[in-house]
Amino acid sequence: MRARYTAFALGQIDYLADTLAPEARGDFDPIEAGGTASDAVWQSLEVRAITDGGRDDETGSVEFVARFRLRGEPRVHHELARFRREQGRWVCAGGDMNPKAPPRQVVKVGRNDPCPCGSGKKYKKCCGA
Amino acid sequence: MERRFHCTACGKCCFGWLPLSLDDAIANAGRFPVAMIWTTLRQGAKAFALTAQLGTTFELRNRKRIAVQIAPTAYIPPAFPCPALAPDGLCGIHADKPARCRTMPFSPYREENDQADLLVPKPGWLCDTTAAAPVVYRDKKIVFREDFDRERRALEDQAVPQRAYADRLKTNPEVAAAVEQAAKNPRGGYVVLNFSAILPRLQRVDAAAFSRLQLPVLTEFAERTAGIAELADYHRYYRGNAAGMAQFLARQR
Repeated sequence: MRARYTAFALGQIDYLADTLAPEARGDFDPIEAGGTASDAVWQSLEVRAITDGGRDDETGSVEFVARFRLRGEPRVHHELARFRREQGRWVCAGGDMNPKAPPRQVVKVGRNDPCPCGSGKKYKKCCGA
Repeated sequence: MERRFHCTACGKCCFGWLPLSLDDAIANAGRFPVAMIWTTLRQGAKAFALTAQLGTTFELRNRKRIAVQIAPTAYIPPAFPCPALAPDGLCGIHADKPARCRTMPFSPYREENDQADLLVPKPGWLCDTTAAAPVVYRDKKIVFREDFDRERRALEDQAVPQRAYADRLKTNPEVAAAVEQAAKNPRGGYVVLNFSAILPRLQRVDAAAFSRLQLPVLTEFAERTAGIAELADYHRYYRGNAAGMAQFLARQR
């Protein structure tokens, strides 16, 4: 992913096309990518989360945020990119833009449940009072 | 109910935007500056089902579903004549002009029973609709239907790659925001997108060959629209796409 970001920043569009999995090729427009790459001023790359993609893995995903200015306007590209190992080489198999975090699970404490502070009292008689 | 119409070749409809079939857009890459134009259509509109079938649908933030027409288009300012319109006022490519021009004034983007208002000449057009003109539309059926059927078939054939293209692109936040904005127009709004984005999905089309034909056209239109404030959107499209294609072609060597 870092290599692909670097290729984008350097305008090496052929590398971007070359490191795509076959199923992601239809989504990639080298004409527009070249125009964007040459007009963009790249500012930062922040990696937010990595799953798998280690030495023994066959797949992996990276959530990243790339910031750049395009024709004077600040832009943010936030993507959860999927990668796959193909003949020993990592290729990008697509991604989702602006991925949503999984919904937060909140366990509610009922008023008559034992209090989570461990006092042994009912919640309503203890912290929930 | 009979409607009469005869084209007098006045050339008045040969100005501005011209929706093209995908094949016509590729075949005329050396003639028209092409863009992909998405037009929104609210639910309940007469052409909703047909547009959803030939194009795609899109769910707005308010949960309403709209249909989106996806049309490769000769993206020419309304005041500019068609580049194929000859000095004598006739079509310079009449023998193999695009399907859209052949079917005029009918439109296969609409249902066959919903064509009557298209037979009313627009202000300034010199179409003959008098008793001298032949009957072309009877009981909501098109009389000479070859061109209409052929163009409709072309739209049906291209619906599959276009939907794959559109369904991917509409997940792009910028495109989604633009569609959302366009849908605010109750009569339907439009979004102009780069035509090149569909090329990777067309196996039999060579993007480099297309670009070699399209680049000089974009460059010429960029020059003709330079410095004209009301054509700034057109100019930006031509210039941006020309730059992308020039670089793309340079990398091919």
